[in-house]
Amino acid sequence: MTSQQGSITQARISGMRRPSRKPFRPGDVITYLVLTVAAILVVMPLLWMFSTSLRPIAESLQLPPAWLPTDWRFENYREPFESNVPFVQLFVNSIQITASVTVGQLITCSLAGYAFARLRFPGRDIIFLLLLASLMVPGQVTVIPIYLSMVSLGLMDNPLAIILPGLISVFGVFLMRQFFKTMPQELLDAARVDGAGQLRVFLQIAVPLSGASLATLAIITFNATWNSYFNALIFLKSWDKMTLPQGIAMLTGYMGAGNASVVMAAVTMAILPVLIVFIVAQRWIIEALTRTGIKG
Amino acid sequence: MNTTRQPLISPKWSESLTGYLFILPTLIGFAIFILYPILESIRISFLDFNILRDSEYIGLENYIEIFEDKRVATVYSNTFVFTIFAVFFNAGVGLLLAVALNRRMPTFIRNLYRSIFFFPLLVAHTYIAVIWQFLYHRDLGVLNYYLSLVGVAAIPWLSQGNWAMVAIIIMDVWKNTGFAMLVFLAGLQNIPNEFYESAQLDGANGRQVFFRITLPLLSPTIFFILVIFMIGALQVFDTIQVLTRGGPGDSTRSVVMYIYEKAFQRFDMGYAAAVSMTLFAIILVLTLIQFRIGRRWVHYE
Repeated sequence: MTSQQGSITQARISGMRRPSRKPFRPGDVITYLVLTVAAILVVMPLLWMFSTSLRPIAESLQLPPAWLPTDWRFENYREPFESNVPFVQLFVNSIQITASVTVGQLITCSLAGYAFARLRFPGRDIIFLLLLASLMVPGQVTVIPIYLSMVSLGLMDNPLAIILPGLISVFGVFLMRQFFKTMPQELLDAARVDGAGQLRVFLQIAVPLSGASLATLAIITFNATWNSYFNALIFLKSWDKMTLPQGIAMLTGYMGAGNASVVMAAVTMAILPVLIVFIVAQRWIIEALTRTGIKG
Repeated sequence: MNTTRQPLISPKWSESLTGYLFILPTLIGFAIFILYPILESIRISFLDFNILRDSEYIGLENYIEIFEDKRVATVYSNTFVFTIFAVFFNAGVGLLLAVALNRRMPTFIRNLYRSIFFFPLLVAHTYIAVIWQFLYHRDLGVLNYYLSLVGVAAIPWLSQGNWAMVAIIIMDVWKNTGFAMLVFLAGLQNIPNEFYESAQLDGANGRQVFFRITLPLLSPTIFFILVIFMIGALQVFDTIQVLTRGGPGDSTRSVVMYIYEKAFQRFDMGYAAAVSMTLFAIILVLTLIQFRIGRRWVHYE
């Protein structure tokens, strides 16, 4: 992609009306202006969140707003833990659900993706097509019967009501299948000649070679589950079972608009894991999102 | 695992067996949590559903009621208004940013901008809405403060129907346009260089290049983005639920919020299932259109 990018840029440069190597074209001013204004607009709400989280509670909504932190009251970050809201429990619940779903999908999706990409068995393509077709069905259609099943299984207000349906993902299977399809057949054949069984080829050859793809799936699943709100709202009812997005959405009402500093401290902490993942794995995320076309 | 020299079953059979075993967990989950719920949802949509006593089969009554329900008309019209504006601005701003980023500039600057535009995508709608709730506050909000400096009277962002919808759309574009930018940028970088070279030989100016070459060649990507964003916008829930709870009145309530209310607050599940089927039908049509047209447009080289 980078080389092509380079050549397009080359064409643009040579396509200039005056072929002199002017360091700055008039269009560049507009370009940087547009980009910088947009970047400022994107950053400002997040900056406001952060600097408000560090301000004394009495000044949390002061106007004009101070965009950079004026105080460094890290005590605000202790407040959510000491309030009536079980903030630690919310974190634990979100981690529990996100970790279970992510690990579950890594296993089920890599197994199925490998089978659909690399193994021959009767009915394979029809089954795969059936799975793919279900991607068109919006979640609101399936959630009512799942809710009724969870009620009759006694799994309401239980993280399993969210974890169990989350253990598989048609999208994840599709993603892993695409990855395994690009794997060189010779590698797998070599192991087969050595007499390794299918399971061993999968575990000892295919999986170790697909670290990047598994990481991509893990990141996408982690982010989607960590941020998920709709399902939590339906299945989890009591404070000690709720997830972080659910708890924070209630926090605003609970603390009222006057306590912006504490609410923003809580939001900052909730966003932190996503920020860390973003910094560590940005390239993978961007590539995966571009290639597969899904939104977070 | 069978590693003996002479396997008990033929390799072909063992491969099939492994295949089935590998897809088994997914198939079980699919059957329980996707296939069965779809069929069951269709069945429920024909019932006068009651969670306490036996449900009664009432034929098409739920579907007929949809057409008589004024609130369905309201929530659909809200959802369509949101969808049209959110899709237009998400795609438009995303395209503008992508075109700007595709110009000549140092790679690290391009990557820096790209990261900034992209980051809100990863943050939960819920958190974004909580932050913006403060920014939109009528008297204490940052937005109205700056608008007052240029002489604009305090805007009732969240307490008046039309403004609330505007507020939701602005926030949605702020969060999601980075995704359109990302896909457009990839699309722009995939346009073969020869097109620009021949345009240059013909003496085309910048605007001609954009409208005669870039835009037509980008049309599959634009189409893809429009459909993806439409499908997403039609299912809008999280942001509105946190920012306005559908209010004031029903003025920002979306279809999915209505389904949620009917199913999980009123427990009128038959009716809710029927409404969800109408949404399903719309999304199905959109997806099929994308599939057909997308296939026709894919080969543009």
